[in-house]
Amino acid sequence: MSYKRLRTPIWIVVLTLLLLALGACTAVAPAAPAPAAEAPAEAAAEAPAGDAPTVALIYGVRGDGFYVTMEAGARAKAEELGVELIADGPAQFDPVLQVPILDAIIAQQPDAICIAATERTALIEPMRRAHDAGIHMFSVDTYIGDTSGDYNVEDLNWMFSYIGSDNVEGGEIGCSAIIDAMGGSGKFYISTTQPGVSTVDQRVEGCQNAIEATNGAVELVGLDYNNNNSSRAAEQTAAVLASHPDLGGIFGTNLFSARGAAQAVANAGLTGAVRVANFDAPEDAIQALREEVVDIVIAQLPYEMGQVCVDYAVAAINGDLDAIQRRYPTGYTIITRDNVDTTEAQQAIYKSE
Amino acid sequence: MTANTHPAYSRRAILETISRLWAWLFLLGMVVFFSIAGNGFLTPFNLQAILANMAILTIIALGQTYVIISGGIDLSVGWVMGMAAVISATIMNSWPESTPMWLIVVSGLVVGLIAAWIAGLVNGVLIARLNVPPFIATLGMFGIARGIGFLLSGGMPVPIYVKGLGFLGNGFLFYYHPTAGWSFLTPPAGLVQSDLRNMTGYFPFIVIVMLVMLLLAHIVLSRTTFGLHTYAIGGNKEAAMRAGIPVARRTAAIYMLSATFAAIAGLLYNVRFTNGAANAGEAMLLDTVAAVVIGGASLFGGAGTVIGTLIGALIISVLANGLVILRVNPFWQFIAVGIVIIIAVLIDQAREKFAQE
Repeated sequence: MSYKRLRTPIWIVVLTLLLLALGACTAVAPAAPAPAAEAPAEAAAEAPAGDAPTVALIYGVRGDGFYVTMEAGARAKAEELGVELIADGPAQFDPVLQVPILDAIIAQQPDAICIAATERTALIEPMRRAHDAGIHMFSVDTYIGDTSGDYNVEDLNWMFSYIGSDNVEGGEIGCSAIIDAMGGSGKFYISTTQPGVSTVDQRVEGCQNAIEATNGAVELVGLDYNNNNSSRAAEQTAAVLASHPDLGGIFGTNLFSARGAAQAVANAGLTGAVRVANFDAPEDAIQALREEVVDIVIAQLPYEMGQVCVDYAVAAINGDLDAIQRRYPTGYTIITRDNVDTTEAQQAIYKSE
Repeated sequence: MTANTHPAYSRRAILETISRLWAWLFLLGMVVFFSIAGNGFLTPFNLQAILANMAILTIIALGQTYVIISGGIDLSVGWVMGMAAVISATIMNSWPESTPMWLIVVSGLVVGLIAAWIAGLVNGVLIARLNVPPFIATLGMFGIARGIGFLLSGGMPVPIYVKGLGFLGNGFLFYYHPTAGWSFLTPPAGLVQSDLRNMTGYFPFIVIVMLVMLLLAHIVLSRTTFGLHTYAIGGNKEAAMRAGIPVARRTAAIYMLSATFAAIAGLLYNVRFTNGAANAGEAMLLDTVAAVVIGGASLFGGAGTVIGTLIGALIISVLANGLVILRVNPFWQFIAVGIVIIIAVLIDQAREKFAQE
C-alpha cells in the first residue's frame, strides 16, 4: 500500500519542474526589457519622438509564400528607411484568429500598421480600434468595407491607403488567357477559397467578366468554395471532372485552390486537355507549370506591396501626406511556359524562404 | 498507526490542493512571464483586449461545461453559433433605418435563440430519448447547422448595415485621457490622432456581457437543483434515475442550454464583427472543450466548474496574446494548449487514483 503511494508524487515532481521552468524563465528575463511595461501611457507618448518609428505588418496567414515575399519587401524597405518592422499573422486565414493578433500588436503601440484583413466587414471595427489608438492604418493585399477598396468614403476615410492588386483585372487577364488556350469555347470551372475575402471575390468577378465576354461560347459549369484547403479543392474538382469530362479550363483563385484543382486534373489523366490557370506564383506553381499541369500562372507583386506600404507608413509618420495615394494598384506578371525563364518572370515568383 | 497514516494523508491533501490550484498558478506564472518579457502585455488596453477576445469562446464554453459535466459532449456548438449569427444578422438587416437599436438587437437575439433551440432540442431528443451517443448526435447537428448556415447566407458572411452596431461589440463604457479626463461612452471630444495614443478605454461592453453570463452560469450550476441534477446525471446516470431525477428531460434541457449560449455567442459575433458568418465558430469547437477540460472537468462526467472553465479560457487566450507579443510563431500555440490539456488530465487521473486508494 505504501509502495503504491510512493508513485503518486511523480506528478508533483512534474508540476514542480514545470513551475521551476516557468520561474527560471521569469528570473532570467527582467534583465533587458522590463521597464517598458511599467507606465504605458507616458512611455507611449515618448516612443515616437525618441526611437526609430515602428511599422507593423499583419498578414493574412502564416507560411504562405505570398506573405513571406511581402514581408521580405517590407523588411527591405524598412531597413532602407531605418524603421523597425514587426510582422505577424494568424495560423489560419480567419478573422477570429487575426483580430486577437491585431489587438496584441496595438498593445505594443507601433506607429503604423499594414494589414491584410482576412474579412471585409469583420475587420472594420478592430482596425478602427487601432486607428483610435493613434496608429496610422494601411491595407495591403485585401481591403475592408464594400467600396471595392475606395477609402475616400465617409466611413473609411481614416484609412490612409489600400495597396494591392486590382483583382478584377487579375481575374479577367487570367481567365482570358485560359479561354484563349481553350480555343475560345468550352466548359469552365472556378475553384475558390471562401466567400467574403475581397481579393478572391474580385478575381471570380473578373473571371466571370471574361467568360461573359465570350457571349456564351464559354460556359461556367461550377464555382466551389474549398475553404483554402487543397485536398477539398481536389475532391470538388474531381467531382466536376466526373460530371463534365469535356471540361476545358479551370481557374484556381489562389495557390491552394489551383494546387488542388491541378492535382485532380493530373489524377484524372487529363493533363493538357484541361487548361488550368493558377492565380499566384509560389515556387510549386512554377514547378507545376513546367510539368504542364498548370498552363498559366498569374503573379501578383507582393514584394512591391510590402515595400510601398512601409514607404507610405513612413510618409504618414513624417506627416508627408502628399506622398500617399489613397489607392495604389500593384500590377501583374503573367507567367507561361514560354516566358518562365525570363528575368521578369523569375522575379515575380513568390519565395517561401 | 497515526504516524503511518499522517504522511499519506497530507500527501493527499497536497495533491488535492495542487489539482485545485495548478491552473491558477499556471495562469499566474504565464501572466508574470509575459508581463516581464513582453513589451505592451501589461497594459490596460491589452489585458482588456484579451478578455474581449475571449468573450465569445468563453460563452460557448459555458454551455459546453454543462454538457461535459453531464457526461456528454456537444460538437455542434461552433456551427450552431454560426447558424444563429447568420439568422440574427439577416433579421437585424431587415428593420427600417429609424428602428431603435435595442429592438434590432433583441429581435436578432430572439430569432437566433429560436434557431439554436431547435438545434439544441434535436440534439437533446436524440441523446436523451433515442439513446444516440452524444458524440454522434452532435456531430450530425454539426453538419446540419453548418449546411443551414451556409445555405441561408449563400456562402457569404452577411454584412450588417445597422449604424452604430459595431460600437456595441467594440466600444467601452468609459474612456480616459490624461489631459481630457474621463468620459462616458464616447471618447473625449476634440482629440487629434496623436492625443488618441494616450487614451484608454475601460470596461468593454462585450466583457461585461461575458461576466454576467459567467455569473449566471455559475449560480445555476452551483446553487440550483438543475445544477445538482447535471452533476448527478454525469456522475452516475443509473443512480440519478433511481433517485427520481427526470434524466431524459434534464439532458435535453442541458443541450438546449448549450445551444442558448451558442446563440448568445452568435449575437456577440454579430456586434463585434458587424456581420454574421456561418463559419464564425469554426475555430472554437476544440478550444471550448480544451477550456472545460483544463478547468478540471472530467470527460466521463460528474466533475467540473464554471470558474474552472473561465481559467481554461483565460489560459488559452493569454497564451494566444502573449505568444504574439513575444513574436513566437502562432503554431506553437496549438502545441502549448495541447500540452496544458494533457497536464490537466494527468493531474485529474492522479487525483482519481489517490481518491480510490
